[in-house]
Parts: sequence; structure tokens; C-alpha cells
Amino acid sequence: MGLLVARDLTVSASLDGGRVPVIRDLSFTLKAGKMLGLVGESGAGKSMVGRTVAQLLPSGFAVSGGSLVFSEANLVTMEPEARRALLGREIAFIPQEPLSALNPVLTIRTQFDEHLARIGVAAGDRRPRMLELFDAVHLPHAADLLRRYPHQLSGGMCQRVLIAFAFASKPKLVIADEPTTALDVTIQARIVRLIAEMQERENTAVVFITHDLRLAAQVCDDILVLYAGRAVEYGPARQVFATSGHPYTRCLQLANPAMSGKRRGLYALPERMPGLRAWNGIKGCAFAPRCPNVIEDCTRAMPPLVEVGPNHAAACIRADKTARIAAPALVPAAEPRQTAPVLEVSGLGKRFVAGGLLRRSEVAALSDVGFSLHENEFIGIVGESGSGKSTLARLIVGLETPSQGRIAIAGHDASHPDFDEHRRRHVQMVFQDPQSALNPRRRVASIVTQPLEAAGVATWEERLARADLLLGEIGLPPEAAMRFPQQLSGGQRQRVNIARALCAVPRILIADEIVSGLDVSVQAQLLNLLAALRRERQFSMLFISHDLSVVRHLCDRVLVMYRGEVVESGPTEQVFAAPAHEYTRMLLAAVPPDDPAEVWQGLHA
Amino acid sequence: MSARPTWLRSGRVLFGLAIVIAIALIALAAPLLAPHEPNEQNLISIFLPPAWANGGDAAFPLGTDSLGRCVLSRLIYGARVAMMVAIVASLGAMLIGAVLAHIAGYFGGWIDWLVGRTVDVWMSFPPVILSLILMVGLGIGLRNVILAIVLVDWTRFCRVLRSEVLVVRRRDYVAAARLVGFSHWRTITREILPSTMPLTITLLSLEMGIAVIVEAILSFVGMSVGANTPAWGQMIADARQYIYDSPWNLVFPILMIFITVLGFNVLGDGLRRALDVRLTETRRA
Repeated sequence: MGLLVARDLTVSASLDGGRVPVIRDLSFTLKAGKMLGLVGESGAGKSMVGRTVAQLLPSGFAVSGGSLVFSEANLVTMEPEARRALLGREIAFIPQEPLSALNPVLTIRTQFDEHLARIGVAAGDRRPRMLELFDAVHLPHAADLLRRYPHQLSGGMCQRVLIAFAFASKPKLVIADEPTTALDVTIQARIVRLIAEMQERENTAVVFITHDLRLAAQVCDDILVLYAGRAVEYGPARQVFATSGHPYTRCLQLANPAMSGKRRGLYALPERMPGLRAWNGIKGCAFAPRCPNVIEDCTRAMPPLVEVGPNHAAACIRADKTARIAAPALVPAAEPRQTAPVLEVSGLGKRFVAGGLLRRSEVAALSDVGFSLHENEFIGIVGESGSGKSTLARLIVGLETPSQGRIAIAGHDASHPDFDEHRRRHVQMVFQDPQSALNPRRRVASIVTQPLEAAGVATWEERLARADLLLGEIGLPPEAAMRFPQQLSGGQRQRVNIARALCAVPRILIADEIVSGLDVSVQAQLLNLLAALRRERQFSMLFISHDLSVVRHLCDRVLVMYRGEVVESGPTEQVFAAPAHEYTRMLLAAVPPDDPAEVWQGLHA
Repeated sequence: MSARPTWLRSGRVLFGLAIVIAIALIALAAPLLAPHEPNEQNLISIFLPPAWANGGDAAFPLGTDSLGRCVLSRLIYGARVAMMVAIVASLGAMLIGAVLAHIAGYFGGWIDWLVGRTVDVWMSFPPVILSLILMVGLGIGLRNVILAIVLVDWTRFCRVLRSEVLVVRRRDYVAAARLVGFSHWRTITREILPSTMPLTITLLSLEMGIAVIVEAILSFVGMSVGANTPAWGQMIADARQYIYDSPWNLVFPILMIFITVLGFNVLGDGLRRALDVRLTETRRA
């Protein structure tokens, strides 16, 4: 008997007057001391499972069938009073965004004290318990930490504080909802290790919600893959990963760039998961429209979960054919031209002035950075947040002025009388967050042709014609031209963002974390798009990312940045295969390896 | 997309707009609507009660004042001053405030510091005293009332809009516009202004209500338009001396001010709810 057992659990939402199941016939068993990974793209219903356990469902959502049993008590039919007593004591949560989960105006001590009081720790025992817990989550200077406010801590520290909160009551079950999504890779490894450690020590069961299949395969005992509210695959983590039964699991794996071995093409799932509104209308397998193995029978009836191995089930009628799905061959990009570099940076530094008129101090965000970018070359810049990656980008495009050093673009530097104009013609930037980078009051056609508007010569008809061309190039349907950004999906918005930068036909594109925060399938689509654009357009790019696998896939060379300095640079393959600097080694170790059977150094370091 | 924009579907907006338009129409059509000349004196029939009360005269529907002038006619003509001040003064205050707010918020640095401190100093004067001092300096007259209100109230716009501009300024699309070659002017007008417009309109509507009150205060102390132009504040001041003889004369102008300000405030509140980007964006998401 498991600790948390779901049987045909169905959660439905009222939408447009009808009811749509957001989770359908979900069954799983989680034993004490085990970790279950819930994996899937955003909108697949992963978080709904956690919210159902906590009874934190949004209004209009309700459990409409099945049972969810926690140590022999059915959570669905339980009295609210009894359930509240369970939550926080027997069942604890680790939230996605640590900073917004803590109250910014109360000290850590006040909040911890409240939490301990709620779970019934006597007043005199609270302080020693706090120190003990902070020690368990490897937070140094615990006594000092208690006096601080959340904004004085880093994201990783806040997450550790919340893990300490979660394990304070020695719960039987912990639900971690994407606990590392907002954090750096190096911190991700530490947090995951910490959760695993606490789980082992207290024999706690953990539901680990994540979109990262590779991470789940490393740390979880079992994996449940969700698609459009249904379990499409369920089984032991290594088996699900190594011998995927469902094409969706296989495709997610192939969409992720490899960290070792030869570079391969990315399998980019077409389209996207149907939205909630469409779920009622799906007759057959919800994945059928995107499935490479689809046959006519797939659209007739919903395929049941069938056994494909010991304790391993997949909802596919052609599960035996799944292994045949292969990543497309990598289309090689043209070699960078070893002519004069289009961008030369030398001795570049930037200091920011902190503090007011009195205690003025200077902070070096960047010091002595130098490199050159050749025509048709992609350079990846990696490093943790705060390493100066974004500052470098902003200096090159001219959003900040350098404190020292030289930037030369296509042979001209700041001494050239028309440098700004010259730079504008040759360099464009793609911003990280399309939500903020696209004016919500402009239509797509107006956004992508903004460079024409700046020149002030094109008529609206000319701009529409140009928008049509650009949308074709970046793979958006022509009717998207008259939409507003908020009517598009995240991936589509990022394409619009790229199209605007391309409209000015730049020779250098600066991309600041443009695929972070997107689902792997969307990320694969965008990476393939960038590779295709590179073949057609012949441009150079500085690709800033914290995701090393993406950089390995896309870039010819890589710069590793640490505290405002370039600590290592060289051809990507070489740097990744034989890192010279200690910091690069640490970054690489923090990424979960491709093969779950391999030992993840970051987890055991 | 529906035929009517969201802001016109709000009940508050429609209610406020109806009051404001009605009063504006009354002001425009004053010569047609008023039964008498507003300054025409009728010394034999002073302090007449309203027509429905005991001893009322049908020729003076709302009675007469201490000089036998028709109260209804004076109220109707008084709407002209009120509406004129409300519209012109608040537009003027908006113009100065919004321009300075956009320049300060957009460029930042010492410009922002200068504008910010000016607003601080300006706001530390009590507004009514400041406008009284201005009126003493400028002399009475409609144009000077408007000028006084503009000079006092531009700070309201400036302070609120500046913080809004600061928020929008940090959006990446503003940086992106600069990178594709937009001039400062074009960036402000095409990227920032559309985002601050809803707030500006909302503030404008609230400011109109405030302008009506300020004008009433100034004319109450005789520092507004001249005695020959009927204004609601003036009527209150006149009636105050004869409050025991004729309480009605006090009630009607107060009621007019109340209704007008209510109209502007409900309109402003409705617009705020309907146009607030944060609210509409969550609805879309």
C-alpha cells in the first residue's frame, strides 16, 4: 500500500458553461521514501495534481471523480478541518518562486516562528529547532540569517529556507512544484541534492513536478508523464527514459540538446498542446496531431495505458514502434569566415555606482572583457546570473555606455562620427522576455516592421508586405500579422521578437536568454529556426544563455563568464569536453547527464 | 471585438458621462433655457420661494434671491463658468503636468530630479491658499481663474504620471524601439504615451471635479469671475447672508456643485476601472 494513491482521479473546470476535465483518470501509487516525478509541458496539468492534494484548486475547478488517498484517508471526501490539520504537518510544499512565497516585510525568524507555532512546536523549542533545520539545509550563519528579510537573501537561499520550512514538521509527503525553475543550474543541482538528502533522512515521499525530463530521470524513482491532462506514460524513471513507450516522452527527450557525444539535430514537435477548451472535443489520442508515428486508428479511441515493461505502462497503441523515432540529422552550418571580425571587443569594463551622495561605492559589473566575433559565427556566453552576461550585451548594443575599453563594429569604433547610426544598422538585440519586449498595444505587423517605421519612409501597405515576408521566414501564419502579442503563445511571441530584430537585416544579433522559460518542444523549434535562419541569412550571433546544452548545440565558440570576467573561451566542443577552468568544470557538473545511468557529479559532489 | 469599446460598457462611465454631458448642454444652451436674464433684478419680488412652495411664482421656478434675480437662470448661467473652468483648467493642468512627467520619467537623471523637487516644493503650499494668492496677483476674471487652477494643479498630473512613465520606461519594448532607431520624441509618443493615456484620461476626469470645487471656493470668497458673471460659489456666498429668510437659495447651488462633481468623479472612477491596464491584462490572460 502506498502513502499517496490516486485512483482514476478526475479534476474538472467549468469553462464556457460546460465542464472540461483538466486531469483525467489519473492513477499512481507513491510509497513512503520514494520520489515521483510529474513531467510534461506547461498546461499539461502537472501543477493541478499538487493543487488537488493541497485543495488549492482555482475557483471553478473541482474533483469530479476518483479518489486520492493519503495514508488511508481520502483527501477528496475529507472534512476541510481535518485536511487543514494534515497540510503543513503531514503534507508540506516547496513552491516554485521562493521570493514570492516569503513575506517581504517580515524577518525570516518571524515567519519561521509562525510556521513552527502552526505545526505545534512549543515556544521554547523553536529557536533551537530553526538552527537545527538551517544546519540540515546547509545554510551557514543561521543565527544571523534569522534576523534578515527575504530580499536580503539570494533566490537559492530563499529556496533553502523554504525547504527547511517544508521539512520542519517531518512530513510524510512533500510536494515540490518546479522548485528549481527560477534558479541557476549550479544552484539547481544543490537544491535537488538537498531535497534528495532530506527525503532520505526523514524517509519522506516526494512529488517532484518538473518540465525537465532529464532532471526527473536523475532524481526520481518513478516518472509520470502527463499530456493534455492524461497520464501517457508511467513507470520507473530509468526505464521511462531509456525505453520510452510513448512517442511524447521520446520526442521530449529528442528535443533536448545532448550534453555529451556527437551533436545531433533536435526533434521539434510541431504545433503545440491543444488548449484546455479543445480537450472535450478530442476523440482519440490527444497527442495524435503531433505524433510522428500516427496512424488512422489513433484518432478513433482514447488509447488505454498498457504494460510495456515491468511496472511500466504507456498509453499508445503503437508503443513498440516508439524507439524508431529518431532525431533528425544535424544540418551543418556554414563555417565562420576567418576574415576581419564583425565585432571586436577589447578591455571592456563597466562599473555601476551604488549608494547615494554620501556612501558612494562602485561595483564592477564587467572587467577587461575581450573577444572577437567573425562573420557567420555563433558565440555562446554562459555563466550564472550576476556574471555580467547581460551587461555585456547591453554595452554592445549601446543601452549602456562602457566605463573603459573598446567596441568595434565592422571596423569602426566609438571614434567614428556616425558610430551610433553605424551600430544600429549592424547590431540588433533580441530581448529575453517577449512579454516585456513587445508593446501590448501594437499589432504584430506593426512590431516586426518597427525598423521601417523608424526610417519613416515605408507606407503601411509596404510594411504589411514586409511583415508577411518576415512572418513566413520565422514560421508564423500570415493571419498573425493583425494579432496583438497577448493573443499569441509564448513561443510565437519569441518568434515575433526575433523577427523584429531581423527586419533591419543586421550582421550581428545579440540574443539574451531567448529560449529560457520555454518548454523544451518550443525551445527546440526556436533553436531549429535560428539554425535555419543562419543558413539562409548569414549573420553572426552572441547567444547568451545559462543553459549549457543549448549553447553546445548552437554555438561554434563559447565564453564562460564568472563575476564579470571571461574565465575560459574556446571552441564549444573543446571547452565542454576538456574544461580548463575550475568554474567551467563546476558549471558542467551541475547539468544532469544525458544518460540517467551515468552518475550526476553535481548531485554527489 | 465588440462594437462598443470596454470603457463604454461600464455602468459608472455611462452614469458619469450622462451627468457631465447634461450639464455641458445646459451650459451651452443657457440663453435658450434660462427664463430670465441672470442679472435682471426684480426688487419687488425678492426672496421668492420656489414655484411649488407657498407663495411661489410660476415665473421664477426656483424662486429669486436678495436682489430679485431668478435663481434658476443664475444656476443655468453658472454652469457656463463651472464647465468652462472644469474643461479648460484641467486640460491645461494636464498638458503641463503630462509633458513634464514624460520628460522627467523618460530622461531621468538631473531633469527628473529638477522636476521632482519642483513638484515637491509646489505641493508643499496649501493649494487653496496658493490659488488665492495667485488670484490676488492676477486680478479677477475667468481667464485668471483658469490660469490659477492650472498653475496649482499641474503637480497632481506630474507626480502620478511620472511614476507610471518610470514603470513603462523599464519595459524592454522601449529599449527595443530605441535600438531599431526610434528618436526620443517618437519613442515617447509611440511607445510610452499609449500606455500612460488611460491613466491621463482618468486623472483628467477627476481633475475636472476638483476644478469645479476650486472655482466655487474662489468665487465664494469673491476672488473668481467678476460680480456680473453668475457663478455657483458666488450664489452660495450671497445666500449665506440670508440663510434664515431663504434657505432654498443656499440649497440649489450646493446641489448643482454636488451633482457636477459627482458626475466627474463617477466618470473618473469608471474610467479607472475600465482602462486600468493591469486589470484588463489579467482579464485577457
